[in-house]
Amino acid sequence: MAEKKKDWPPYAPGTYVRESDIREKKITYTWWEPEVQYSWSLGPAMSKFLQGLKNGKIIGIHCKRCKRVIVPPRMFCEYCFGPTEEWVEVADTGIIETFSISYLDPDARRIEDPILVGVVDFDGTPPHHGFMHYFGEMTKDEIKIGMRVKAVWKPEDERVGSITDILYFRPLKGGET
Amino acid sequence: MGSLEKQTDPTSPMHWRGDMQADYFYPSGIAGDKFFRHLMQKDSFLADTCPKCNKIYCPPRLYCEDCFEEIPDNSWKEVPSVGTVRLYTVAKLNAHGEKMKSPKIIALIDIDGTNGAMLGTIDSNDFEKDFTGIKVKAILRPKEKREGTIKDILHYKEI
Repeated sequence: MAEKKKDWPPYAPGTYVRESDIREKKITYTWWEPEVQYSWSLGPAMSKFLQGLKNGKIIGIHCKRCKRVIVPPRMFCEYCFGPTEEWVEVADTGIIETFSISYLDPDARRIEDPILVGVVDFDGTPPHHGFMHYFGEMTKDEIKIGMRVKAVWKPEDERVGSITDILYFRPLKGGET
Repeated sequence: MGSLEKQTDPTSPMHWRGDMQADYFYPSGIAGDKFFRHLMQKDSFLADTCPKCNKIYCPPRLYCEDCFEEIPDNSWKEVPSVGTVRLYTVAKLNAHGEKMKSPKIIALIDIDGTNGAMLGTIDSNDFEKDFTGIKVKAILRPKEKREGTIKDILHYKEI
């Protein structure tokens, strides 16, 4: 039977490096910031989508065969592999498909105020479609799946054709559709 | 029309450019720290010896790579920063793949009196010469400019 090993080799205990050791130059080290740049060619569909965001519109594309709207748009339908044919403007309202309450910021630093992120399922598109974004004007206790939300846009002159041209999605107030 | 429409503007597809932050932090470690702090003060290297197999490490190690024996502090000694070129290459392109104005001679140098070796560059404009086996000496930064990294060794020069 499994017997407890008594003679494990003694492990090197290891020495922790603290941030203050680096700041106060208590240890010698090499620091290097490599230049890592990338360029993502967006292709016709994603270009149209981001150009649309710049103009304050969410652009989708319609597949005639599957009778569905795809957002963000794609050049071909992932279901039937046919070319997608008709650009459509999608409403900037929808429901929260799924969400996450994050206590880490994009640099993986711990934060007190959680960031709310998730997928928005847009009105007029088939279920379980959409893209990820931030949620705002709601607390972590208020957010729930199925909540109706609307995009909050950047001012027109600040939009550059980026997904961040939408600041976040806010809950629809009573009476709004 | 959608994806089947004719594209007449070649500039319409966009590009998204970005920078990735990928900082690199390499602490010298306990043995490395001792080595570099010595190098900040003196123009010589430090080496240490395995008590079991007598292998002499330069740069020094805390544990022997061959027999895993812990190397005691009392085996540390100073060695001159002089060595023999074991092998070398003449690099014409930089790390980005661009042609450099002047080629660089990158060499592996066996440090005299030890079993260790260091990578470095040889300061010479003679790119046709065979450097294997020649004696070289480390040229260091002026003492006040040393930072405690391998870059304190500027290059090696033939003696």
